[in-house]
Amino acid sequence: MSTSVTSGEPGTSSVEPSRPGGGTASRRLAGSPALRVIGRRVLIAIPVLWGVTFLTFIVLNALPGDAATALLGANATPAEIRAETIKLHLNESIWVRYWNWLVGLLHGNLGTSLYYNQPVTSILGQRIPVTLELVVYALVITFVVSVPLAIFSARRPRGVVDRASMVFSMASLSVAPYVLALLLILVFAVNLQWFPALAQGTGGDIRDLTLPAITLAIPLIGFYVRFLRADLLEQMSEDYTVTALAKGLSRWKVLSRHALRNSFIGLVTVIGLNLATLIGATVIVEQIFGLSGIGWELLRAINNRDVPLVEGIVLVFATIVVLVNLGTDLTYDVIDPRIRHGRSRS
Amino acid sequence: MAVPVADALSPGLPAGDVAAAGRFSRTRGALRTLEITIPAAVLLLLLFFCFVWPLIYPVPKPTGGSILDSGLPVGAPGHIFGTDNVGNDIMSRILYGGQVSFEVAAAVQAIGLVVGGALGVIAGYFGGPVDSVLMRVLDVFIAFPSLVLILAIVDSLGQSELNVIYALSVFSIPAFARISRAATLRLRDQPFVVAARLSSVKSWRIISGHLVPNMMPQLLTFSLLGAAVVIILEGALDFLGYGIPDPAPSWGKMIANGQTMLSVRPSLVIVPSIFLFVTVISLNLLGDGLRARWEVR
Repeated sequence: MSTSVTSGEPGTSSVEPSRPGGGTASRRLAGSPALRVIGRRVLIAIPVLWGVTFLTFIVLNALPGDAATALLGANATPAEIRAETIKLHLNESIWVRYWNWLVGLLHGNLGTSLYYNQPVTSILGQRIPVTLELVVYALVITFVVSVPLAIFSARRPRGVVDRASMVFSMASLSVAPYVLALLLILVFAVNLQWFPALAQGTGGDIRDLTLPAITLAIPLIGFYVRFLRADLLEQMSEDYTVTALAKGLSRWKVLSRHALRNSFIGLVTVIGLNLATLIGATVIVEQIFGLSGIGWELLRAINNRDVPLVEGIVLVFATIVVLVNLGTDLTYDVIDPRIRHGRSRS
Repeated sequence: MAVPVADALSPGLPAGDVAAAGRFSRTRGALRTLEITIPAAVLLLLLFFCFVWPLIYPVPKPTGGSILDSGLPVGAPGHIFGTDNVGNDIMSRILYGGQVSFEVAAAVQAIGLVVGGALGVIAGYFGGPVDSVLMRVLDVFIAFPSLVLILAIVDSLGQSELNVIYALSVFSIPAFARISRAATLRLRDQPFVVAARLSSVKSWRIISGHLVPNMMPQLLTFSLLGAAVVIILEGALDFLGYGIPDPAPSWGKMIANGQTMLSVRPSLVIVPSIFLFVTVISLNLLGDGLRARWEVR
């Protein structure tokens, strides 16, 4: 384990001078490296989020059609559309509208939905819990199943458990979420009638969420089992695990105590990379199961050209992804301090 | 981390999984060959049937079927998989829809590999401000909900296969960039790279001669696995009504259209789903088999 390696050790910093712009001195001077790193990373996250909101505004502005037309429908007269356009401030230039939106954001005001004529924050407040429950439910299922399965597989590579779990995870990884959703509906909703095919209420009911959560979890389980198993096996040929085995520790203990810890580095990255995909999958899954979550609302808002609402939803998605990436990078530092020396902390 | 001592990756050299390799070496060797050849053969067969078969055999047109032939069951004469609600031959729609899936997947992964791979290596190797700027821009794209941009691209440029490719590439590029950057960071302080640098080998030669060959197996494996994801995503776009424009067939659209008749005629969903599944699992198995052979993660 590398926990004894700290940021100032000469052995590891010998490679530093080869880096252009390495800033070793400032790092040595830092009183609390972890805090500085967190501070700097948070500062970096802000331009990223700003970039996302700006890109969204540009992209939505480039779309044909606008909220006034979407609101009034195909039969509206040009005069009515013009009146609605002025009412919604859509006649102002994109820069003015973006600036107003940005100023509002800094005051904690996400604006008013053009379609619902309600504050965006209150709409988000209704939609976010549904999606959040769905994602957390799916992730809980995923980890409860995949971590033990991966360890059992890695304990006896090419054994019965390993082969079965490899077949399962390969299959689960290769089935499209929409196909899986339809299959689950056909079996559990139409034939067995254990769960409803469509959500009954406004969401939040665990029975409504079970099939969607399983739909999201199954491919994730396949992914994490494969990933974690491969990584665990690689760890098992490393010197430190061979040493631990030579000292007489059981393979089980070495796997779950030593190898698993190091494998988490890779796992943490993969979760970060996967999160955007997972959010994309919730949009489709919410659509199929009729869950009125944030992804479902996003599709509606895009169709309605409801710029403030889309901006609000995009901001929520982007903030989640940025925060998770931030957490990923920070977790790196905690789990494996060696990585800090391999790259600039810019 | 397994330290590669040679500056070129030697294929076939077992680095991970050593104990198992010793115990099962003979069967393992044969299995490994099969693990690669079977999915490769299935993929070649699918490619042959999708791209070549319609040229040499009079397959019915995928569109403009007669309404009199509508709703024929699986195994009907002249229509192996039957016909859909407007009388189009399902087999034919599968073949032509498969062309779309393969074309989109290949194009998106090729763009991602070349552009994203190059960006990641440059960012990882040179570090400093180059790294910061490139990575921040890619962070924006990673943080950006893909669907908004995809729908926007498809909506404003018009629904077409090419625009679907552009839209999906926007998200394969950052993925490749992150992977190649991570690989570069892992390799750049390896003894052989440091040795090359100390021997005053030029940067671009270190990149092209040492870094790229070493990460190529990883990137190629990733692109096969990624192609499977792209095929699924392309179907998802069809599912949401933003994919390939309407008369043309695609697997995702066939599944989406069959959804309404799920309990009455499940074959409308099941047949394209099976083709989708076999294609995706073959890509995954091939990627996985090559990963094992090349000993990359």
